[in-house]
Amino acid sequence: MASPDFSLSVSDCLLIQVEAWNETLGQFETSLSASLGTDLPASVGETVHHENLLIIRVAPRRLWLALDDAAPAPPLAVDPDLGCSASLGEGRVRFSLAGADIARVLSTCIAVDWHAPTAAPGRAVHTSFHHVPVLLLRTGEASCELIVPRSFATSLSDWIADGSYGAI
Amino acid sequence: MNAQNQRLPGGGRIDRSHPIEFSFDGRKLAGYRGDTLASALLANGVTLVGRSFKYHRPRGILSAGPEEPNALVTLGSGGRREPNLPATTLELGDGMVVETQNRWPSLAFDVQSLNGLFGPFLSAGFYYKTFMGPTRRAWMFYEHFIRKAAGLGRAGTDPDPARYEVRHAFADVAIIGSGPAGLSAARAAAAAGARVALIEQDFLLGGQLLAERSDGIAAAWLNEVEAELKGLETVTLMKRTSAFGVYDGNVLGLAAQREPLDTRSTGEARQTVTMLRAHSVVFATGAIERPMVFSNNDRPGVMLASAARTYLNRFAVLPGKKIIVAAANDAAWRTAFDLAEAGAEVTVADLRAAPPPALAAEAGRLGVAVRTATRIVDLRGGHAVRRATLSGPGGQSETACDLVCMSGGWSPTVHLTSHLGIKPRYRDDIDGFVPGIFPASWSGAGAMMGAYATADTIEDGHRAGIEAASFCGKSAPVSAPPKLDLGETVTAPLRDVPSAHRGKAFVDFQMDVTTKDIELAHREGYESVEHLKRYTTLGMGTDQGKTSNFAALAAMAGLRGATVPETGTTTFRPPFTPVAIGALAGRATGHHFKPFRRTPMHDWHQANGADMLEVGLWMRPWFYRQSGADVNEAYVAEMRTVRQAAGLMDISTLGKIDVQGPDAAIFLDRVYANGFAKLPVGRARYGVMLRDDGIVFDDGTTTRLAESRFFMTTSTAKAADVLSRLEFLLDTAWPDLRVAVTSVSDEWAAMSIAGPQSRAILAAEFPSLDVSDAALPHMGLLEGEWEGRALRILRLSYSGERAYELYVGATAGAQLWNRLLEAGDPFGLKPYGVEALGALRVEKGHVAGPEIDGRTTLDDLGLGRIAGKRSGFVGDVLRRRPALLAPARERLVGLECIEDGKRLRGGAILFLPGEKAHGHGRGRVTSVTFSPERGHYVGLALLAGDMAAEGNEVVAVYPMKAETVRARIVAPVFLDPQGERLHG
Repeated sequence: MASPDFSLSVSDCLLIQVEAWNETLGQFETSLSASLGTDLPASVGETVHHENLLIIRVAPRRLWLALDDAAPAPPLAVDPDLGCSASLGEGRVRFSLAGADIARVLSTCIAVDWHAPTAAPGRAVHTSFHHVPVLLLRTGEASCELIVPRSFATSLSDWIADGSYGAI
Repeated sequence: MNAQNQRLPGGGRIDRSHPIEFSFDGRKLAGYRGDTLASALLANGVTLVGRSFKYHRPRGILSAGPEEPNALVTLGSGGRREPNLPATTLELGDGMVVETQNRWPSLAFDVQSLNGLFGPFLSAGFYYKTFMGPTRRAWMFYEHFIRKAAGLGRAGTDPDPARYEVRHAFADVAIIGSGPAGLSAARAAAAAGARVALIEQDFLLGGQLLAERSDGIAAAWLNEVEAELKGLETVTLMKRTSAFGVYDGNVLGLAAQREPLDTRSTGEARQTVTMLRAHSVVFATGAIERPMVFSNNDRPGVMLASAARTYLNRFAVLPGKKIIVAAANDAAWRTAFDLAEAGAEVTVADLRAAPPPALAAEAGRLGVAVRTATRIVDLRGGHAVRRATLSGPGGQSETACDLVCMSGGWSPTVHLTSHLGIKPRYRDDIDGFVPGIFPASWSGAGAMMGAYATADTIEDGHRAGIEAASFCGKSAPVSAPPKLDLGETVTAPLRDVPSAHRGKAFVDFQMDVTTKDIELAHREGYESVEHLKRYTTLGMGTDQGKTSNFAALAAMAGLRGATVPETGTTTFRPPFTPVAIGALAGRATGHHFKPFRRTPMHDWHQANGADMLEVGLWMRPWFYRQSGADVNEAYVAEMRTVRQAAGLMDISTLGKIDVQGPDAAIFLDRVYANGFAKLPVGRARYGVMLRDDGIVFDDGTTTRLAESRFFMTTSTAKAADVLSRLEFLLDTAWPDLRVAVTSVSDEWAAMSIAGPQSRAILAAEFPSLDVSDAALPHMGLLEGEWEGRALRILRLSYSGERAYELYVGATAGAQLWNRLLEAGDPFGLKPYGVEALGALRVEKGHVAGPEIDGRTTLDDLGLGRIAGKRSGFVGDVLRRRPALLAPARERLVGLECIEDGKRLRGGAILFLPGEKAHGHGRGRVTSVTFSPERGHYVGLALLAGDMAAEGNEVVAVYPMKAETVRARIVAPVFLDPQGERLHG
C-alpha cells in the first residue's frame, strides 16, 4: 500500500538556461541581474526566488531560470558577446515530492544528504537518480522538487512510486 | 520436538516467553527469541551441523560470530532459498526452514566422507597435478565429478519474490562495531555534537560484553550506555547490519537483514544494502579468537573458548559437561571459570608453564583442574568429540571429554581497514597484526587496535569518538564514560608450535587446508603468502579465512625460518562477509533494471501495434503489426511504403546538441573532420567526428540556425558520448573559445517523413509554409511555428528518398505526429520502424553503428574525401599513421547475394572462394537487408582492401547457423547512386 506520508506529482517545467562566457562573467551577471530585477545566486547550489521566477546557479557560469506554473517568461535579451540562452522547458518535467516520509523515499533514489546544509530548503543539488542526471530543489522541510529529463520521467516516477509503497 | 536439554534453567539474553519453532533438515526443533540458529541447535544437543568442503568430514559449531567456517546452512526454499549462511549469525525466526549442505544422502551418513580416505591424493594443488592430463580435454571430463564431490551450498533457481533495497545514508561519524569501544565512541561522538551511525552486525548491541553474565556489571554498563544512545536523536543504531566494504571517500557498504520475526505486511525489504557516506569513521571491529592446530581439531565439539562463553552467558546453553579448555593466554581461563560455575567438569590445559597465580587460585576455588605446559595433540570421536590426548610434562595421556574449548590468542579484525590498501603492521606484544597508519578521518579503538582489557577499550573508544567528532568540527564538551572493570588480565599468547600430527590438523576449516598442505606448498616453492593462498585455497572460502589467517602465516613463517611479519599477510578485500546478489541489485531488476527513455510518441506507438525494441536506453518502434505478421514481412512492406509513397518515423532518439557562441563555427571546424565555418545560415551539413587516434567517433548533421548558433544531431547511441566529448574539449583544449554546448535531446520531438509523397504531405499540413524545392532545398532548413510552438523542418535523407526531418517541442510531439498521419493518409503515409529504417539506409549505402564500430577510419568507410586536405581537426594527425593507410586495411564494400533462396547475415565472415573457412577470414558482413528494389539480399561489409575489387566473388560463412553463401562485391550504394530520388 502507498505510504500515507508521501506524495508525488508530475508537471511540466518551464525552464530557461543562461550561460556566460568565461571572460565576461561579471558583465553578464550585472546585465542579467538588471534585466531580472534581482540579485543572482552567488554560488553553485544557491537559489534566489524572485516574483514568479526561481533563479538557480547550476554551474559557475550557468544559471537556470525556473518559472512558476503558467507564469510568463521574463523578457530576456542576452548579449551574444556576453553569453547565451537556451530554452529547456520542453525537455524537463518537475516532480513535486512531499510528506513526512520524503527522506526515506529519496534515500532509495539519490545520494543526497537530506540534513546537510547543501540540501537545506532553498538549495539546489545536481545529482544522479538511477544513473539519470537530475536537479534536486529543496523547497521545504518535508518537500522538494526533482527536475528530470522528460524521456526518463516515466521510469523515474515509477521508481519513486515503487519505493514509496510497502512491499513483500 | 526435541527438548532443549542443554539449555540452562535461567539466565541469558533470550526471551523465554517467546518460544520459536524451526526445522533443521526436517527435524522440528525449538528455541527462543534472542537465539541464533547455532545457539538453538546447541540448546537442543545438536553438535553435527555440516560437512567439510573437500573431505566431507563431520563439522560442528566453532564460533559464535561471522567468522564461522563450519556451520554453514541453507535457509528457506524455492525462490527465497539462500545458501552458505553461518548458523552463528542467523537470528532464529518462527517457522525457519534450515537445511545442511554438501552431504548425501544425509548429514549423519554422507557417502562422500569416503573422500577422507583419499586424503593423500587430495592434497593442495591436486587439481593441477592430477586433472590436467593426459590431454586438455581430460579436465572437461573430470570437472563434473569434482564439482559434484566438493562444494558448499547451492543457490536456488526460482525467481526470488522478496524485496531488496539499495539506499543511501549519511553521518558525521560512522562507528563500526558496538562492543565497549564502539559504544563508548558513539557516546562520545554524539555528546560532542556529531551525527552518529553505530553499525552492528548482531541483532544486539554489546559485542564482547554479550559474552559476560546477563545479570552482571557488564550488563548494567551495557544497559546504561545503550539507553543513553537510544535517547539521542542524533544517533542511528544500525543493528543486523554488516559493514562489508570500505571504499573511497569514506563510503561504507552495509548489508542489513530484516528482523526475522517481522511479518511481511510491514513492507520492509528482506535485505538492504546501504551506501553510507561519513565524514569520519571509527573502526571498533574487535578481534577474532584463533583456533589451535592439532590432530582432528575439526571434530564437532571443538569450539573457540570465547564462543563457549557466549553460548553459556548470552544464550544460557551449556555446550558440554566434561570440558577441556586449551589455553595459550589468560582470556580462555574466564571461559573455564564460567563453565565450571555452570556445573561443568572443566580441565584447563595451558601451553604456558606458569600461568598467573591468581588464575590458578581461582581455578582451585572453582574446582577446575589445571595442567600447565600442556597441549592437546589429538582428539577422538566421529560426530562428536569423545576423548582428547594431552601432552605435557608427564607425557601423553587421554582424557574423556564432550567439549574442547580452545584459544590460540586473538587477531584484531583489520579486514575493513585494509580495504583501501592500509597494510596491517605486526605488534610483538600481542603477537598479532593491527592496522597501519590511518588517514585523518579514521580512528581505531579497542581490540582491533590491540587493546583487549574492557576498561582500556572503553577509554580507547571514548578517545576515538572525540577525535572523530572533532574531525567533523563537532567539539562540545563530553563527560567521561561510565567505568567498567572486569578484572581481566591480558598477556600475549604463547604461540603454539604444532609437532607432527597423526591425523589431519586443520588450519583453514572451511577450505579443508591442513598443516600438511602448507608443508607441501612450502616444499614445492609456494612460500609467498599470496602463492600459499592460491595454491592451497587457504582463506578463499565464504569466511575469507577469518580464523585461519594467522595460524597459516605462523606455520609458513616456521617452515621458512622467518618471523611472521617477514612472512607478511595476504590482502583483505571486500566483502568482509558475503552479501546476497539480490541485495546488491536492490530494486534494479525486471523493468527497473535500467531506466527506459520514452519518446513523446511512445504511447502512440504502443497503442498502434508497434513491437518495441530497446535501443540503448530508448524504447523505439521496431516494426508495426499493421505492416506484417512478423518483422521480416513488416519491414519489407514498410520499406516499400517509403519508396513508393511516404513513411513517418519517430527519430526523437537522435542526440541533439545546441551549440552557441561567437566561436561556435571555429569550434565545429575543429571537432568535425569536414569544415563548418563556411556553412551558410539555414543550411545543414553531414559531418564526421574522429577520435584523437584518427578512428571515426560519430557522424550526424549540423545545421546553422544563425551566425553563432548551430543545431547538431548525433547518432542515438553516441549522444551522451559526443556531448561529453564536446564539453571536455571546451574545458581542457580550447577554454578560450566562447562556446556553450547544451543537450536538447529531450527538448525536441523529432520525426522523419520520407518518400516521394513527403513534400505533398508537408504542404497539406503546413499550408502557410513554403516547402517548395526553391524555399527548402536538399540540406535546407525552414523555421516556423506550429500551434504556437517553434517548428524546424530540415530537408535531409537517410533513406535515399526525398525526406524531411521535423522538430517540434516535445510536449507537442504526439499531436504533430497524429496530425501528419491524418494529413498524409490520402497520400498513403504510414509509420515505419527501426528495422525498415536500417534496411533503407543499407540500400542507400549509408554507414551506421555496425560500420562505425570504433575500428574504422574515414578512408575505410569511403569517406576520406570529407576531410580532403583539411588539417587542424581532432584526429587529424593520427589518422595519417601508416598503419591506418595500409592498402590491405578492410574497407567498405557492398555485397549482393548471388545464390537463389539464400540470404546474407550480419556478422558473417568473408573468405575467398575455395579458401578453407577458418579463423577471422578476409573481412566481415556488417549490415544486411532484403532489398525489394534488387529482389535479393544485399549488405555492407568490411573487406580486406587487396581483394575488394568490384565484381569479385566472396563466400560469406555464418558459423552460428552453419550457413555458407556466395556473394558478389559491388559498390556500397544499391539504390539511386546519382541521388535523383532525393530531389524527385
